Amino acid sequence: MEIKSQVYKRVVAVTVTGRVDSGTAGDLEKALSALANEAHNNIVLDLSGVEFLSSSGLRVLVTTLKGVRKVGGDVRLAQPSQRAIDAINLAGLDVLFKVFPDRESAIASY
Amino acid sequence: MPPTKTRPRLTLHSQSVPAQLGQLESLCNLVDLGARSSGFDDRTSYACQLAVCEAAENIILHGYRKKGGDIRVTTRSRPGELTVDIVDTAPPFNPTMLPPEEGWALTDPPVGGRGILIMRRVMDEIQYRRRGNRNILRMRKRVRPSKS
Repeated sequence: MEIKSQVYKRVVAVTVTGRVDSGTAGDLEKALSALANEAHNNIVLDLSGVEFLSSSGLRVLVTTLKGVRKVGGDVRLAQPSQRAIDAINLAGLDVLFKVFPDRESAIASY
Repeated sequence: MPPTKTRPRLTLHSQSVPAQLGQLESLCNLVDLGARSSGFDDRTSYACQLAVCEAAENIILHGYRKKGGDIRVTTRSRPGELTVDIVDTAPPFNPTMLPPEEGWALTDPPVGGRGILIMRRVMDEIQYRRRGNRNILRMRKRVRPSKS
């Protein structure tokens, strides 16, 4: 799994690629909580390169979402891969996240 | 002469790995192999991989509690049907007895409990047996052949 983040004026865009399971979800959690600790509460998650997303990865997404929503932020998903979409839908979390067809529109939505 | 009924060919794949999170990808590859042997498409194979990965994660984290052990996964493939057996020697744990998902509000989404939901949604059957010191979890997925 690879994580890259890019900070904009009001938004931070985090690109996650590869496999997100219980072996790697801890790294994603650290990266996202570090951003939240720096008051980056408007998060765009670019999941276009996610090849596998287990419930451990979904747990990190939900935990982050709950944390930033408490302070008026949000986690929005940009161009998730079909595999990321399938995992989110199977876990019944599709109603939770706003999904955008591309990164630019997700960033502009804040 | 009466027509003879031939049973669809069975393809077996099996692998035993140490109960470590780093081994999950290897188990997924095995399930993919089994799913392909059953004629499943990529999305169905991925769904099966997710379900088996969730079960294996449970065994590693909650069964063995990261104290070590082995997990054996065996796939049995027939056209349109995949059976996956997951065997471990951790203390008894029956994931089929976990309570069904409760309703939840968008303002307070559940953090955990997604794994068993994925397993139930993907698989057509999930059976648990305890035999001797072994947990045996059997999951079965069937896909009707397309009419095209």
